[in-house]
Amino acid sequence: MSGFWAYLVRRIIASIITLLGVALVLVILIQFLPGDPARVIAGMQASQAEVDQIRHSMGLDQPVIVQYLTFLGHLVQGNMGFSARMGTPVLAEIGNRLPFTLELAILGTLVGVIAGILLGVMSATHKNKLADTIGSMIGVMGISMPVYWLGILLIVLFSVNLKLLPTGGAQTLSSLILPVVTLGVFSMAIVSRMTRSTMLDTLGQDFVRTVRAKGVVEWLVVYKHALRNSFVPILTVIGLQFGTLLGGAVLTETVFSWPGIGQLLVTSIQARDFPMVQGIVFVFAAMFIVVNIITDLLYGVVDPRVRIYD
Amino acid sequence: MRSLSVPASTRRSSARSRGKARTTVTAIVVTAAMALAGCTTGGGGPDKSGSGGGSSETFNIGIGVDLDSVDPAQQTTTTVQNVIDYGLEPLVKLTKQGKTAPGLAKSWDTSKDGKAITFHLRKGVKFHDGTPFNAKAVKFNLDRILDPKVKVPLRSAFEVITKVDVVDDSTVKLELKYADPLLINNLGITTSSMLSPTSVKKDGNSYKNVVKPVGTGPYAFQKFDKGSLVVYKKAKDYWGKKPYYGEVDFHIMPEANSREAGLRSGQLQMIMNPPVSDLKSLDSGSDLKVLKAPSDRSVFIAFNNSKPPFNNAKVRKAFNYAVNKKSIIKHVLFGAVDLMDSPLAKSLTGYCSVGSYPYNPKKAKKLLKEAGATNLSIKFGTPTGRYLQDKQAAEAIASNLRDVGVKVKVQTMDWPSYQAKTNLKKGGFDMHILGWAPGALDAPTQFEMFQKSDWPPNGLATAFYTNPKVEKLIASGNKELNTSKRNDDYCQAQKLIWGDAPWLFLWSQTLILAYSTKVAGVSYIPNEKFNTIYAHPAS
Repeated sequence: MSGFWAYLVRRIIASIITLLGVALVLVILIQFLPGDPARVIAGMQASQAEVDQIRHSMGLDQPVIVQYLTFLGHLVQGNMGFSARMGTPVLAEIGNRLPFTLELAILGTLVGVIAGILLGVMSATHKNKLADTIGSMIGVMGISMPVYWLGILLIVLFSVNLKLLPTGGAQTLSSLILPVVTLGVFSMAIVSRMTRSTMLDTLGQDFVRTVRAKGVVEWLVVYKHALRNSFVPILTVIGLQFGTLLGGAVLTETVFSWPGIGQLLVTSIQARDFPMVQGIVFVFAAMFIVVNIITDLLYGVVDPRVRIYD
Repeated sequence: MRSLSVPASTRRSSARSRGKARTTVTAIVVTAAMALAGCTTGGGGPDKSGSGGGSSETFNIGIGVDLDSVDPAQQTTTTVQNVIDYGLEPLVKLTKQGKTAPGLAKSWDTSKDGKAITFHLRKGVKFHDGTPFNAKAVKFNLDRILDPKVKVPLRSAFEVITKVDVVDDSTVKLELKYADPLLINNLGITTSSMLSPTSVKKDGNSYKNVVKPVGTGPYAFQKFDKGSLVVYKKAKDYWGKKPYYGEVDFHIMPEANSREAGLRSGQLQMIMNPPVSDLKSLDSGSDLKVLKAPSDRSVFIAFNNSKPPFNNAKVRKAFNYAVNKKSIIKHVLFGAVDLMDSPLAKSLTGYCSVGSYPYNPKKAKKLLKEAGATNLSIKFGTPTGRYLQDKQAAEAIASNLRDVGVKVKVQTMDWPSYQAKTNLKKGGFDMHILGWAPGALDAPTQFEMFQKSDWPPNGLATAFYTNPKVEKLIASGNKELNTSKRNDDYCQAQKLIWGDAPWLFLWSQTLILAYSTKVAGVSYIPNEKFNTIYAHPAS
């Protein structure tokens, strides 16, 4: 396994370099955002003196390179400075919101993957029959329905009419159900389309015929042999989906009043709360990189032929 | 990754601390089963336990803004002030009529020269943590909002104070730079609400940043779950009239349609700003009601008075006649606003009704011709979603202007960019939509929009309008301690401004509340605040 460890160390070093680049791009991009952040934070009726003081306290009167080094300096010390809008540590605010986002991302992906694989396999094994048509219809609907619209519909049905579930918020366990379903539907649609096409490809291959000829039961042929051999592209889609959901499904969070990190990012951008924006985007980038590494490693687990590190 | 700064909240967090188990299929099944088994209390906040006697019921309010801070000194938004007001009180209160009334100060007297005000405080009042409210506490709070080390965006309202003196336990004397008839109104703004001086060093609070405000109000702050929920419980022994509900929960719901769903499903008893297109249907049934509370916010179009074509009063008047405001209010804003008849909103002290610009496209064309302003092409800026139906109204206004032969290009952008562009004297918009709301309900803050001293970058008078007569009237009114004389000056100034038409005068906004008819006692203060402290079940 020494090849594996060498590979992992290489990937981690590359990630750190990427993140340094991300930090630099962030600091530079923020310079180009129109509008005066200090004025936005101070509010319309604040005096110019107050605005200047806020600008100074945010370090915005410093050259870009100083701002970049300040940001790195904070990172090295394990903090990310203070939110300009809230006056609280950036890291604490992210820590507040991240669990909520993780919860939705993990559950939503789980629902989407299980339902999507079942749906996709059903479509592939009943190619061009009724089940395939229905599966395809569900898939196309899931991809094309705006998350926002689906969310509102679910709220109208389950909260307003049936009075079964909360319309939003995060106070009870039951408030998880609707947002998870909403996100799950979208992931399900994408995973099912990918599963169908790769499975069709696999089911037509020689080894499947061989397995069938050996008299293996059909469901084992499909789910053990064929699915495992189709899993690499499916895994790619799952990894990408999960990465996206980690970025906070902003629309879903908004519709369901879910206090996730996506909402916080949008609010922070609107308020030009630079330290907060930098912190969140940086954390997103880090999470995305980690998910990518894990996905690459899982390829090897699923299919030893694509191991990068042997 | 659990944050330490969030206080544990009953069921939700015990579920959280089970941590990883949550991420299994079983959890989903359990959740679904629980939900179906009648765990249908909806938004159900923490377990309801009565405190301070009376009812243990919870009053649930849906608001659209996530609080940036619960520190009275640091907030900048009326909705945030509104939430803070449940637990904290200022020396002076603003009433539904827009007048000042005793708050934590029973009375006050102003010295002859107006440069000193003495406050006589209510006796026997205690903060929720048991600290006595007295002159020392007042000095601590006022000194804090004047301290440059603390971020106070609305500080300018108080900068006239040079010194806060403790005379005795229940008397405080303020010394001022100059006679300022406005200060009493300003002391009614949440910024100067009284915090317990001892609490500022406890519970994660610091002198610079208060995260758990402890006040003297009818409700005591319990917790704020970021982006989600603010909880207040009835205070144990409030000095004034005691409220009915044992708990008030503010649910943060950024999406208007979701707020409406929460109200319709019975999980919320009141919401702020429902979707304006649904006002009719919300008000037509027997179980919901809509209240359009008058506010201090005027929404207008600021012409750039400093350059052609709008340096000509005839063109500005023509534009005022060209727009069918009544029809736009009816069809685009669903009747949710009041037509302006003065540069000031009706709720401001010093307001007087001065005129109207009725819809008259013929007259508009004639005026444009006289001004030699044919073939006009105008860059018209509007924000989206900052004011009620702003972009939709802008499109309707543009079409009215095209009817009288003006070419109009409507442009929109996000707020910070927009604000930067409205501040430009050259290279900005030719005209742009803006809203302005003097929180202390005073005329002078509104008049800033018509004074040269407030032109950007010093202020936000983005019309770049000035008129020596108007400047003089405002200046003399601002110094005048005699109310009726002051209002005379203000009224004349309003007439002159109206005639000069530096703005395309539109409307004053209302704060729209929708609530359940099971609740009575829903009220408001005309500075975009609701007041449900004394809400109770309708009999």
